[in-house]
Amino acid sequence: MRDFIKSTRFKILLAFLAFLVGIMIYSVTKGGYSVSGASFINTVTKPFRAASNRISMSMEGTVDKLSNADKYYEENERLKKQIGELNAQLTEYDAMKAEVEELRKFVSIKEEHEDYMLSQPCGVLGYVTNDPFKSFTIDKGSADGILVNCPVVTAEGLVGITVEVSEHVSTVRTILSPDLSVAAVASSSNADQGIIEGSITASENSRTRLIHVPKKNKLKRGDLMITAGSSGLFPKDYPIGTILDIGFDSNGLSVCADIQPCVDVTRLTSVIVITDFSGKKEEEKDEED
Amino acid sequence: MRRIKTTREHRIFRFKTALRWICYYLLIFISFIFMTAGTLYKPVILVPLALGIAINNNIYGSAVTGAVCGFLTDICCGKLFGYNAVILTFFCIAVNIVFELYLRNRFINYMIITVIASFIQCWLDYKFYYQIWGYEDVGRIFRKVSLKVWIYTVISSVFVYLLLKLVNRLLMPREHLTIEEAINTNIQTENRR
Repeated sequence: MRDFIKSTRFKILLAFLAFLVGIMIYSVTKGGYSVSGASFINTVTKPFRAASNRISMSMEGTVDKLSNADKYYEENERLKKQIGELNAQLTEYDAMKAEVEELRKFVSIKEEHEDYMLSQPCGVLGYVTNDPFKSFTIDKGSADGILVNCPVVTAEGLVGITVEVSEHVSTVRTILSPDLSVAAVASSSNADQGIIEGSITASENSRTRLIHVPKKNKLKRGDLMITAGSSGLFPKDYPIGTILDIGFDSNGLSVCADIQPCVDVTRLTSVIVITDFSGKKEEEKDEED
Repeated sequence: MRRIKTTREHRIFRFKTALRWICYYLLIFISFIFMTAGTLYKPVILVPLALGIAINNNIYGSAVTGAVCGFLTDICCGKLFGYNAVILTFFCIAVNIVFELYLRNRFINYMIITVIASFIQCWLDYKFYYQIWGYEDVGRIFRKVSLKVWIYTVISSVFVYLLLKLVNRLLMPREHLTIEEAINTNIQTENRR
């Protein structure tokens, strides 16, 4: 032992130990991080450490996935379900928003015409197949207070009239049909009367016709035609359409005009039925009784 | 002469027949939905479908199918309930008899029959629902609606034929021969050679 203590090896080791202690003390005084040697080592080993760390993390991740697979699966399922619910809510919200918009329009009809008895908003079930006059069916019927010959409208204007009514479905004949005649008057003058009646040629362009207008009239292009309310079938002063072209009938005895309906009857999604209004034809009510 | 059929064959026969009719009525339902959708002019696809079914099946089934297709056509086309049912039932019975007695089950024969039957259906529709009421320019309806619908129907009948052929190929039970019939058929074939 004494020989070892006296040997050069011991002195070298002791000096090395003292050097390390010196480094340690130096590190302590510098906060341990700014030692150039440490910094150098860090720099040199950085890519290796990063690579090893990546491998290690990846392995840990794999092990974690394997060991917690059930937990993650459950979490994934829960999140999927949550997303599904949120999507459903979003769809519902959009549908409700659209419905509210439509209801708002229908409420405006009631506000403007207090005497009207309106049905609930009716969804358009579908158009009658291959009908050139675009008749359609709605999802409300006699169970909802709808009768035959009730006016069908939107907030924009007159659409047509109910012709066939079953308990829960009704068929609507539109103003494009030659089988429907509506007494109309120009809203500007409230004097120039005529009959709005569909025709085959006009219906090809989703238009209707104003016929039997006296030669002496003040009608002009762009005039709005409204219901005259004289027949008792339709309420008074409801918009029908605007005048596009004015000309003479084929017999030359009266004036006729092309009418662009206020409502595009080929693109309807919902309508409303006026079940009662002031001035409605009395016979209808008698028939009901 | 009694046919040799095992209980298993009976079961298969009944199962295939039931499945075939389910397929037919599923096609009818899909066609009805197709016809009621949208606002464009569409083929009256139930006509070629009813005729195609009538060609390959017994007369009672054909008549009932014709009536069902007719009623559905009436509903979606907004016609008098039963109007097309009568027309299609008559067509189906007639087609069934004609194919049983005179015509072979070929694509060209089916097309000829469909072209004639659908034209008559469109023409009657035009006559009773437009021309009879004397609308102004009523001829335009025939040219622009009836003929268009007829052409669409004829075109659609090609697809209907293919669909029905597929259903029949998969689900139409084949006739089983007795041993005696098989021998006789074989002898006749040999003699012809």
